[in-house]
Amino acid sequence: MEFNGRHIVSLRDLSKEDLLKILSIAKNLEEKPQPDLLSGFLMATLFFEPSTRTRLSFEAAMSRLGGRVIGFADANSTSQKKGESLADTIRMAEQYADVIVMRHPHDGAARLATEVSGIPIINGGDGSNQHPTQTCLDLYTINKLFPNLIDDSDQLTVAFAGDLRYGRTVHSLFEALLHFNVKILTIAPKGLELPESFTQKATAKGITVTVVETLQEAAEQSDILYMTRLQEERFPDPVEFDHVKSSYRLNARMLKNAKESLRILHPLPRVNEIATDVDETEHAHYFPQAGNGIPVRQALLALVLGKIS
Amino acid sequence: MSAERTRQVEAIAHGTVIDHLPPEHTLKAATVLALPDDQIFIGMNFISKKGVAKGVIKIAGRELNQMSLSQLALMAPEATINIIRDYKVVSKQLISIPKSFDNIAKCSNPNCITNFQNCITKFEVIEKKPLVVRCFHCERSFQGDSLHLR
Ligand SMILES: Nc1ncnc2c1ncn2[C@@H]1O[C@H](COP(=O)(O)OP(=O)(O)OP(=O)(O)O)[C@@H](O)[C@H]1O
Ligand SMILES: [Mg+2]
Ligand SMILES: [Zn+2]
Repeated sequence: MEFNGRHIVSLRDLSKEDLLKILSIAKNLEEKPQPDLLSGFLMATLFFEPSTRTRLSFEAAMSRLGGRVIGFADANSTSQKKGESLADTIRMAEQYADVIVMRHPHDGAARLATEVSGIPIINGGDGSNQHPTQTCLDLYTINKLFPNLIDDSDQLTVAFAGDLRYGRTVHSLFEALLHFNVKILTIAPKGLELPESFTQKATAKGITVTVVETLQEAAEQSDILYMTRLQEERFPDPVEFDHVKSSYRLNARMLKNAKESLRILHPLPRVNEIATDVDETEHAHYFPQAGNGIPVRQALLALVLGKIS
Repeated sequence: MSAERTRQVEAIAHGTVIDHLPPEHTLKAATVLALPDDQIFIGMNFISKKGVAKGVIKIAGRELNQMSLSQLALMAPEATINIIRDYKVVSKQLISIPKSFDNIAKCSNPNCITNFQNCITKFEVIEKKPLVVRCFHCERSFQGDSLHLR
């Protein structure tokens, strides 16, 4: 499907073909930067909920393509506080800018924005629903490390660890990976296991999902170990949370027998789940992963603004 | 009513009989469908010919509008709609399930944007039996009959 003028709201809207296109354009832009590609274009960042990483990375992406940025980073400073509807804020921003990147605390906000916007909306996170550009950058990172991912020649083993029940980055990446030749491992605290529906979707596509018991096992059996944060509010009992938190912590010692090529990813911010001694190993890859947000978001901006097709 | 079997609920000359409703949704359905001046008869926990408990709603004098039909499709997709003229059933329809339910239900996800902004809701049908729908905005899936009507 044509990208020019398109909204990027949910991974559901992106086909395998779309994803491959985004990856290949991101690669081109990373290898051959185009500092003037979006000169004359203006991006509005409407962040109704604070987010450092996503906003900075979009702003950097736009600036490095020669575009300009306006926006707000905190709903308290805007007319939302005066009771303006989301639809009206979007209609206003549409008059000023060529593309809108938004983050909002409520699920479905970006989709609602597309109903009134004549310019492309890129979803930078809507509540606990979707964060499609994170998934694109995760996929880009994996493909950069293991180029065989997209030509399906080798099977890649990806382990997911952490809150697999509610973690939206996990769910989106999981679904995106189902397009490719992968094997999936999961490890999660009791009560935060991957919902059965995901395992069923994988099985229907001939992809196996295996539950492992320890982080060490997950690390030893995989090519990619995708870690996520545990959120205290998911645990009814704070004592239980403390207990799980201390048992769910990856350290360098657990990586002794891992494959040399194992890479550890994390959407960040990390809290306790990765000990800092892991940072010094060749397996740590979460900071380069964050850096990949730039070419991927550049690709998306250039595509929806119709400057690359 | 000589040749007919006796009715547990009053016969109507003209109107609509909604039959085979799930008993637990019958009262709710009656409340939702009723217009202020309607003459309505409600039967609950009747036993159908197949031996299962059902509810029946009879509305005298009128047929259902499109809005009511969609509301019923969401609450009770297995119900039948009988049109009565001169005391006789002149047509019997199964409820047809639309591709999407537009602006008739409220999203059960408390964090869904549709519960904060003045906007329409839309639920896409992802499975018909049992009826499962997905909120177009927050993308969560729900059993059709678990949703509250707007
Ligand atoms: N004149 C009427 N007034 C009120 N209710 C009526 C009248 N005629 C039929 N009904 C009711 O309408 C429903 C459908 O009537 P019908 O005679 O088609 O029954 P049925 O053969 O049992 O149908 P089904 O197979 O759908 O259960 C029944 O619940 C019946 O009691
Ligand atoms: Mg009958
Ligand atoms: Zn919703």
